[in-house]
Amino acid sequence: MSEPLFAGVDAGSSATKCVLVDAAGRCLGHGIAPSGFDYAIAADQALNRALDAAGAKRDRIERCVSTGYGRERVEQATRRVTEITCHARGAFEWYPQARTIVDIGGQDTKVIRLNAHGHTADYRMNAKCAAGTGTFLESIAVRLALPLSEIDGLAMRSTGRLVMNSYCTVFTSTEVLERIKEGQPHEEIAMGLFRAIASRVAEMMSARDGAVAATGGVVTHCRAMVKALEEVLGVGVLLPPLPQHAGAFGAALLAMKPDDAEPAPRSLSLEVIRPC
Amino acid sequence: MPEAAVKRVEIKSAERLRALMRDYFLDLDAAAASDERRVAWCTSVGPCEILSAFGFATYFPENHGALLGARRLSHELIPRAAGIGYCPESCSYMNSDIGCALSGRSPLRDVYGIEGPPKPDLLVYSTNQCREVQDWFEFFGRREGVPSLGIRPPRHLGEVTPEHVALVRRELVDLIGQIEGRFGLVLDSDRLEEAVRLSSRASALWGEVLATARARPAPLTFWDGAVHMAPVVLMRGSRAAIDYYETLLSEMCQRVTSGAGAVPRERWRIYWEGMPIWPRLRELSEKFQSLRASVVASTYCNSWAFAPYAGGDPLEWMARTSIEIFINRDEVTKQAFLVDMVRRFEIDGVIFHNARTCPNNTNSRFGMPQRLREGLELPVLVIDGDLSDLRFFSTAQTMTNLEAFVEQLEGGAR
Repeated sequence: MSEPLFAGVDAGSSATKCVLVDAAGRCLGHGIAPSGFDYAIAADQALNRALDAAGAKRDRIERCVSTGYGRERVEQATRRVTEITCHARGAFEWYPQARTIVDIGGQDTKVIRLNAHGHTADYRMNAKCAAGTGTFLESIAVRLALPLSEIDGLAMRSTGRLVMNSYCTVFTSTEVLERIKEGQPHEEIAMGLFRAIASRVAEMMSARDGAVAATGGVVTHCRAMVKALEEVLGVGVLLPPLPQHAGAFGAALLAMKPDDAEPAPRSLSLEVIRPC
Repeated sequence: MPEAAVKRVEIKSAERLRALMRDYFLDLDAAAASDERRVAWCTSVGPCEILSAFGFATYFPENHGALLGARRLSHELIPRAAGIGYCPESCSYMNSDIGCALSGRSPLRDVYGIEGPPKPDLLVYSTNQCREVQDWFEFFGRREGVPSLGIRPPRHLGEVTPEHVALVRRELVDLIGQIEGRFGLVLDSDRLEEAVRLSSRASALWGEVLATARARPAPLTFWDGAVHMAPVVLMRGSRAAIDYYETLLSEMCQRVTSGAGAVPRERWRIYWEGMPIWPRLRELSEKFQSLRASVVASTYCNSWAFAPYAGGDPLEWMARTSIEIFINRDEVTKQAFLVDMVRRFEIDGVIFHNARTCPNNTNSRFGMPQRLREGLELPVLVIDGDLSDLRFFSTAQTMTNLEAFVEQLEGGAR
């Protein structure tokens, strides 16, 4: 009989990712599909791609955990867990020394503090605003009529220290135009955008001790993002083998555990509230 | 586990509350239409006992602000206020209420069958909660051509000293003099003392109702409290509020005795710091219930649980009460209150609501969450939102935050 597999599906705002692990937690295959309009279809596509990569059939999947904004729509899921817990789990598996996980996704950015056991000790998400997320970069890229890869390439050639002062995507677009008018080199403007995101991340960090690992689509596709994070945070940033799949990997690892064995109830207070 | 503990039992007193609220609003409407009676508007922790003693029917615009939020009308109304110069990032209660007045249509018509807020003869505010109430009332003072009077107690106090109390008492005496002068009235000191006694009793009963949530499982949640607090805000100083809370307290005690929890199979006990998110009250209540997390205590609901009146000078009690409230205290005093609440209610985690248009009722902006987290070694979450304006609130992001918070609690329990 074939060895069972455990699936994690991260239905994110831009892309849906899938990772398959075996009973030892080894990654056997991964897949990705654009999320589009229908998370269920995207999840199916990502899962099929991961199965192809693993050379496995679907009936080997014993359990599946879904995560991400579209987690409720993943039909294969036997359990749903937030992306905060899943990214923490995935990143900690790769880097047990990591105490801060920075996940820069399409829709939001999360900074997660871990304790020595890999449990979430604290976390923050960006406010209801695209600034500091992948959407921020995509929006500016559209404004500049450049693909994101080109902005990344430009930024990597930066040697200066240009900082974007704006907080919000719309104002930053205006600031980009002002910098262009000033005659600032394009590579400096491009790097300034990544520094703006890194600054937002720095605001969300409650502590600076321990190693920092970065996950999500932005650090996967933009080397300049990692460079900006290292520069602004003043530390080296660990980049996992599959940064964009960290959430799906964490979900797959969580799927290895049978569904929720509830912890023993704590002692109940028998205090008399008042003489009723 | 007994069956009663796994089944959500609705609060029976809610029906009586609905009738009480209807009577209150119909009476206000009648008072506004009458030549013999007068209507005063008052802020929620303002000197309403003085107004009762003078015989004014008293209306509280903040309640209307909450209603506009709960009915999800703010996004239509706030732009009306912004159009005449009120910053859309200022208090969304104020902006919604001003916008509602400009639009000429209030949900009070649908809810109670009255045209809208009762036309005032007098507006009385206290800036013990914020300065926005002063600007809010002055808008209506200009619009209605009626006096807008107020007291401006010292703010952000640590220790409340006799000098602070004396200062506010003098303001109250001055206010009484202004009302007497403008309306040709004389304050009956016996009526004032009676109003203070009734107010204090209603407040004490409300505090006892909230304290029943120390039981496991808690018989009521913050979401219930946000609804059942209406009489202590709108009708304190009246016998009706006392009668209501005696009934509600009795029901809560029965629930404690029978083990009927507000959240079936309560697993986590949460403290809510900050304003309710009125337009999402139901969704949030359901989300917490699905997570088996009971929001057993809150700063907000406790804001009307005052220190008792034990006789003596009623104005001194009013002065002291108006400056001792949580919102009027410094960070050290607020933190000590929160620590005490966390311990008394055996809280597993604290959620701060960063209400974007209500900085005065938001306590996550000066490091308090971090200090609590470190001091109590307790998970603490800050969520962004607003009391009424949904433009500052992301449902998906907030729900993910709340789920992750419970996952964090579960991680810590393993």
